[in-house]
Amino acid sequence: MTNNYSEDNPRMKTKHTTRNIAVALCLSIAFLMLLIPTAALAVDDENCLMCHKYAGLGRYAKNEEQKAIKRIFYVNEELFRASFHGKLRCKSCHSGVEEIPHTDVKQVDCATDCHLNDPSTGRDFSHKSIVDDLKKSAHGADGAKSPELIKDLPTCKDCHTNKPYQLGVDEEVESMRFIKVCLECHESEAWTNRFYKHMFYRAHTRRSSKQVVALCSQCHANKEKMDRHDIDVVIGFKDTFHAKAILYGAEDVANCLNCHAPYQMGFSPHRILSRTDSSSPIHPNNKLDNCRQAGCHADAQEAFASKGKAHPSNVIVERVDEDGIVISQEEQKFQAWVLNMIELFYKILIVVVVGGLGFHRLADLYATHRERKIAFRAAKSGRHPS
Amino acid sequence: MSHGKNERSFVRLTKSQRIQHVILFVSTGLLILTGFMLMGERWVIDMFGSAGNEIFYWRGIIHRVAGVAVTLVCLYHLGYVFLQEEGRSWIKDMLPRMSDATHASQNVSYMLGFRETRPKMERFTYMEKIEYFSVYFGMFIVIVTGIMMWTEQYWPKFWLDIADAFHLGEATLAALAIIIGHIFSVHYNPHVYPMNKAFIDGKISESMMKEEHGLWYEREMERLAAEEAAAAASGGGRNNA
Repeated sequence: MTNNYSEDNPRMKTKHTTRNIAVALCLSIAFLMLLIPTAALAVDDENCLMCHKYAGLGRYAKNEEQKAIKRIFYVNEELFRASFHGKLRCKSCHSGVEEIPHTDVKQVDCATDCHLNDPSTGRDFSHKSIVDDLKKSAHGADGAKSPELIKDLPTCKDCHTNKPYQLGVDEEVESMRFIKVCLECHESEAWTNRFYKHMFYRAHTRRSSKQVVALCSQCHANKEKMDRHDIDVVIGFKDTFHAKAILYGAEDVANCLNCHAPYQMGFSPHRILSRTDSSSPIHPNNKLDNCRQAGCHADAQEAFASKGKAHPSNVIVERVDEDGIVISQEEQKFQAWVLNMIELFYKILIVVVVGGLGFHRLADLYATHRERKIAFRAAKSGRHPS
Repeated sequence: MSHGKNERSFVRLTKSQRIQHVILFVSTGLLILTGFMLMGERWVIDMFGSAGNEIFYWRGIIHRVAGVAVTLVCLYHLGYVFLQEEGRSWIKDMLPRMSDATHASQNVSYMLGFRETRPKMERFTYMEKIEYFSVYFGMFIVIVTGIMMWTEQYWPKFWLDIADAFHLGEATLAALAIIIGHIFSVHYNPHVYPMNKAFIDGKISESMMKEEHGLWYEREMERLAAEEAAAAASGGGRNNA
């Protein structure tokens, strides 16, 4: 009986070989898996990508204004993993998606706790404090005059999208050099990479002044929308020196946020206040400090920040701030009138002067033409003209 | 209208006047160029691409340097016309007179064909006087408003808006007047095309002087004759001694 398993049993030999092949196969598969990019290996334990990996996934729908829109539900896994939120699970934001087909989808709420550990507190990370700030700000629902107007207000997604981290070539080379230093202590290369890029992004302004102006203009240059909210439409900014410098690509002049949400004065883009709010940086009481901040107009005098608008607008709505200071309509009307009069004066002067000069030159040419004709005729008839 | 090479010529502009003119037109040209760069449409500015910021910086520097140069040359000119002999004769001949109105109406009727001859005009024609004093008017406005905007921190924003409006309006007027008025008369005018070289060599030919500044020519001839007579007289005196 024991002999059955002796080494010289030919049957047993065959079995041994089969087992070896199986082990070798497993090992080589494991080895091949090491070669596949990590992205493909990332755990999609919710299995959302089973459907959402298909590029054709989407449908036509209607938006709030009953306009046909194309909705795309395709998720490119590689791009998503490289994005700001690439480490999150789908359901961290898209909560409540339990049924298939999805009939229980809720609007994404950025104030949700997202089950990511915030290393600064050890608790779950959340954008809640920022969402709360926004609610209280001029852009927030708290101050909206009527529920219909709420849908005009900007949401997180109007300014922020979940883009992939993108570094320029020089920045990428620099970061590769730098991350090597980090990896001396930190084990996970993926984590280090992400952390470095996060810090790098936060340390640099990602939106140029040109982009900031374009972003704010999406709503604030829309007269219809601003009228609904009883706010002056911004039309004068493009004629200011600041705007011209920004067009040339200058980053050391004020864009919208530098005056309306100056970090130096304790504001942020999420805490923009109405100019009638006495703590707003553009309230008459704070204007001078605002102009002086960040070394811009450091030696500005009282007069500089008063009497006149930073970017005049043609829509003039009278308002009273909470301290009872009337932001005067009459004064603005008068100022606009004066500036228009100067423009008109020069328009008339230019027409008169240029017209007069043009007339004189043309008449002179006509005279020369006559003189030449006379001289030509005289030469032809062989007489000297004089 | 041939101006012979060997023709007698007279001094139209002295060296000092020519230098003042060069400083004036170089800096004014730069000021117009760098100033109107602020009024460019977006698609024009976008053409500068990534160099835009650098260009904008130098635009500001050049505008200020040229502004200082033009202010200094204007102040120098004021001193020149009040304090120097040459300048006093210049401003004396430049002051508007009743005869200018007569010349203007006569010249316009000639140009339109209602008169047989051009009026004989003085050292400076009515057109030249208008151009000259326009520069006073324009320079006063752009220099004052320019200084206001350079010292913006001391002025109310509304005053700066006014200064800006005047600066732009005056600059537009001046640029157009220079192109249509001055450039046409000294370059594209068929009498002098391709250009009146007086701003380089300071000379005016006898025939041109006769044609365009008849009264001045006669005055000059009388003066020369008187000088010659005086020289002959004193020369004769020496001979006698």
